Amino acid sequence: MPGLPILLFVAVSTFMAVSIIIVAHVVGPKARSTAVKLMPYESGMDPIHSARQRFNISFYLLAIEFLVFDVELLFLYPWAVAAGGTSPTALGRLPAEAGVFWAVMGFVTILMIGFVYTWRKGVFKWN
Amino acid sequence: MLNDSAMTRFLMAWGLSGDVAVLATTVVHAAILVHFFAAAPLVLIWLERKVAGRLQDRLGPTRVGGRFGWLQGAADGIKLVQKEDLAPAAADSVLFRMAPYIVFIGSFGAFIALPWSDGWTAMELDAGLFFILAIMSVEVIGVIFAGYASGSKWSLLGGMREAAQVVSYEVPMALCCLLPVMLAGTVNIMEIGRMQSGWVWNWFVLHDPFCLIGFFVYFTVATASVKRAPFDLAEAESELVAGFHTEYSGIRWSYFFMAEYASMFAVSGLATVCFLGGWHLGVPVLEWLGLAGNPAWWAVAISGVIGFALFAAKSLSLVFVQMWIRWSLPRLRIDQVMTTCLKYLLPISCVLLVGLAAWPLVIYAATNALQPGRGRTTLIGPALGERSAPARTSAESAGVTPTIAERVEVRR
Repeated sequence: MPGLPILLFVAVSTFMAVSIIIVAHVVGPKARSTAVKLMPYESGMDPIHSARQRFNISFYLLAIEFLVFDVELLFLYPWAVAAGGTSPTALGRLPAEAGVFWAVMGFVTILMIGFVYTWRKGVFKWN
Repeated sequence: MLNDSAMTRFLMAWGLSGDVAVLATTVVHAAILVHFFAAAPLVLIWLERKVAGRLQDRLGPTRVGGRFGWLQGAADGIKLVQKEDLAPAAADSVLFRMAPYIVFIGSFGAFIALPWSDGWTAMELDAGLFFILAIMSVEVIGVIFAGYASGSKWSLLGGMREAAQVVSYEVPMALCCLLPVMLAGTVNIMEIGRMQSGWVWNWFVLHDPFCLIGFFVYFTVATASVKRAPFDLAEAESELVAGFHTEYSGIRWSYFFMAEYASMFAVSGLATVCFLGGWHLGVPVLEWLGLAGNPAWWAVAISGVIGFALFAAKSLSLVFVQMWIRWSLPRLRIDQVMTTCLKYLLPISCVLLVGLAAWPLVIYAATNALQPGRGRTTLIGPALGERSAPARTSAESAGVTPTIAERVEVRR
């Protein structure tokens, strides 16, 4: 299984992280908690309302925008591998390949139309 | 992969089966790496305090560990281990305790594929660059957990800001990393580093104007994506107390800092390998001395150590620049941070992408018009596909310069 070593890396780092916290619990003082100590910090005032509140819709719109661009990047990476280095379709080969260039131009143009649309709709406006 | 690492071969020579040898090598590599990961921030925090002191006309730490205060980081670590580990009553206990682990592992993950020198990596992945970009963005999940689970308004604001900032900056960052991939034609970060051997103009940053701009865009975006000042809106002390880690204390709190400093090094290392020639000096000294590509074990060891020193020096200089920026520039407002990314850096990196794709075509058209039939696709040096290799292969001793593809074949 090719992914197994990566899982092992994650396991070793988790082990390290957990063991440092265990050491901290052994070495450190027992937490003597009082009601005031366990209160969320609000600059010295007693907290008003819960912190689980609704927040600005801009964050949601940004997340959608991010999804679009991130999926687009997933497509661009294979293209970059095909268009670079020594691959038969490489842009740097002689005579230079124009078809590969126009392929990505079409892709980026469609993306830019969407980008300009969201810009004009005011998604990037922060008040 | 790990199959051809020195240790795996050593273990297999001792009669272990291939799978067991690979797993044993993995555990040893991971143990070395995780200790580096835990120790490096201590040094970097000391460095940060020294840099901050010097930039503000102070001395910085001077007491702990002699004249330069170089044990300050370790002293801080020992202090933090002894502190109480508290979770507020309003916090979501499980998420609150889990968040530091996610940040820790996400930041550590980048080091799995980071190449330290030619062949020196914990694990050579075919999609190493992609892996680093992907696993570093796991960190933001931990920060969102921390912000949301704390049950404090400062934390929530910090966490949401962080989420918005990091996901926005990830797009131009990945677009800028696309530039070296387009030049190299591979996402194997070790191969990307190998292609920049030889003279300094073989470094991807000097390949063309788009990569030069791309390097600076990448560096700006990388600084923002590891939430360093002037982009540290997630923990803006002057507005949000401490942002997403307001409610954390002791060793759990320090995990966020370990991750921040380790990530600084990771993004700087990525910039070094992708743009600044990785472990190469820029002058082919090792080739002249006959060390590069020499299969003798001492030659491999010497060139490996020299490469590691060069890589560390370049990466640490970039880390130093990040610290320098932090103590020189005032913090931006959140709307300025978002505007910088979405309205400027994102379109700029799209233009860089298209520009770099058009560059060989334009150069070819221009040079072919000047000298018909003798068009070329690069201005300085050989085209990427025809770049000479440091490896002393049979083809080279026969007087023929091998291409990258042939060299890769030889390595296999």
